[in-house]
Amino acid sequence: MTTSPASSLEATIAPALVVPGALRRAPLAPATASAWAQAATAWVWLLCVSIVTWIAVPLSAGFVLVFGIGLLGLVVCLLAARGFAAAERSRIALQTGAVIPSPEPRRLPARDPESGRRRFWASLGSVLGDARAWAAVAYAVVGALFASLVLTLAAACAGGAIAAVIFAVVGHESSFAANALQAVPWPLVVAGSLLVAVVMVWASALVVQGGTLLQVRLAGALLGPSSAARARARAQAAEQEARVAERDARSARERAVVLTQTRSQAVSAADTERRRIERDLHDGAQQRLVALGVELGVARRAADRDPAAAAAALEHAHGEVKETLAELRDLVRGIHPAVLSDRGLDAALSALAARSPVPVQVEADDGLEAADPAAQAAAYFVVAEALTNVAKHAEATSVHVHASIVERAEAGAVDGARLRVVVTDDGRGGAEPAPGSGLAGLRGRVAALDGSFDLTSPPGAGTRLTVEVPCAS
Amino acid sequence: MRIVIAEDSVLLLDGLSRLLAAEGHQVTGYRTADALVAAMSRPGAEIPDLLVTDVRMPPSHTDEGLRAALHLRSVHPDLPVLVLSQYVEQRYASELLARGASGLGYVLKDRIADVDTFLDAVERVAGGGTVVDPEVVTQVIARSRRTDLDDLTRREREVLALMAEGRSNTAIADRLVVGMAAVEKHVTSILTKLGLPPDADANRRVLAVLRWLDENGARS
Repeated sequence: MTTSPASSLEATIAPALVVPGALRRAPLAPATASAWAQAATAWVWLLCVSIVTWIAVPLSAGFVLVFGIGLLGLVVCLLAARGFAAAERSRIALQTGAVIPSPEPRRLPARDPESGRRRFWASLGSVLGDARAWAAVAYAVVGALFASLVLTLAAACAGGAIAAVIFAVVGHESSFAANALQAVPWPLVVAGSLLVAVVMVWASALVVQGGTLLQVRLAGALLGPSSAARARARAQAAEQEARVAERDARSARERAVVLTQTRSQAVSAADTERRRIERDLHDGAQQRLVALGVELGVARRAADRDPAAAAAALEHAHGEVKETLAELRDLVRGIHPAVLSDRGLDAALSALAARSPVPVQVEADDGLEAADPAAQAAAYFVVAEALTNVAKHAEATSVHVHASIVERAEAGAVDGARLRVVVTDDGRGGAEPAPGSGLAGLRGRVAALDGSFDLTSPPGAGTRLTVEVPCAS
Repeated sequence: MRIVIAEDSVLLLDGLSRLLAAEGHQVTGYRTADALVAAMSRPGAEIPDLLVTDVRMPPSHTDEGLRAALHLRSVHPDLPVLVLSQYVEQRYASELLARGASGLGYVLKDRIADVDTFLDAVERVAGGGTVVDPEVVTQVIARSRRTDLDDLTRREREVLALMAEGRSNTAIADRLVVGMAAVEKHVTSILTKLGLPPDADANRRVLAVLRWLDENGARS
């Protein structure tokens, strides 16, 4: 915050005192006009209230000695004082824009547990002991005096200015000019009078602006919350702020731990994947190509002396080429399936289903293409791995794959749309993501995308794998 | 001759066996280094005329084949060994050649596809020669920071590379299609420029050259 409410209040009510340059136009400033209105209203209204106060409060206090009747008068006065305080706060807000908060309410006595009503004497005591009501009474008296003082001073300045002008215009006929100012040249007297008039005009503006500001301050002190209540409110606000800050810090720490974990999981998942690709290439395509070279070499050497052997070697080599191509195709699909980027998740899942030895039913909702490519790839590989596992271990007769977009905002998760895939089979269950297994690698991959991974696989009752990843990462 | 092959890839083992058998060799194959060592260590086991082994084999797929070869060489110092490597690893070459270079070969697996070169390497190693893959030589020369190399002419560098591969003067002359006298002149010039002792034996020469290239020169 660059400006406190108090300083902006000062700038609104008494710009001539605080805003640089505002002094020049002080007499014509709108703030001066509203300050005059305020001072005049305050004077009339507070004077009335204070007259009533001057009569009612001492009278009631005096009558306390007589049969205690005065107590009732005091109660009425103090209850009325709260109403007066509210009215005065509204008046100040209306005329100056300064909003004074309501004070803390009167502390009510406890209800009687049996009748459910408050005890009369306790209630009486609470009214008489209402410090804020007494403060309002004090304001009625002091505020009226102050308003009178301000208005008198301001009016005196304004009147002085008018008098000085009149004197400058018609004063040379006066006896004062003839006697006291005999020695002074008349034009100098006129200049002096006009100077006095100008000073008085500015003085009246300053007095009325400053007086209004002080009136508002006085009202704030006596009609607003007590200083103890203000301190309590400040302490509460600070405590609340500290609680929020601590909660934020805690959740940031938790998030950092999660990020550290998922990052290392992602790194190790990527590493495992790279090693798998390297192994696949080394054990597969590379060996096949070397063997192919040998085969072709044999064929070439045999070409002259043993055409039949050469033809057999070439036949063999041809088979090798075809198998190498198939192997490379599988390998490339394992790195990133072209169908996923070309035709989308729906088509890619159908392609996976078509390759599965176990019958797979794919249900893909609309809008899957809205998901981030990384999310779609994760979903694809989750389904691919799940189907591989089903084929290898589950002894299932059917599999159901469901891909959908769900809106979810749960605690600790990233808000917004999430891509969900559910793979359900009717096999023998008992699956678990062992460390280093394909499922564990996928879990790392999903976690790195802030996704969730849930595997339910009770023995003998099928397996249900649910994975959700945020659509946008 | 009798050749023992250790190679985990069935395809390649099969291809190699047929290739060598077609050349009239008697081939025995093993698919792991352990099986190889066990068979060779049996009492009364015949020592083959050549051992061909892959570096990377099960179970850990690191350097089982190389360690088996080193072990067998320490037991039978005269056993010619031809090591096949998936990729150039200068450390492997250094380890192999550390205790004498005769009857040793270290070539990239991909060379097998160049059947003639491979069969040539088989013959040379079995005959007690040294074969170092040109790739290894290129790498060693590339990594060598020795400024003396700048003094060599282009032709001398070619000759140096062939020397490092383990070629004899005759083979170098054939390869570069020049006369023996010219090769001998180049070799003498190279050895003089590099400050190496003159040595006509190709096997000892390859060691000297490789060590010279490697010594204090490797950028790593």
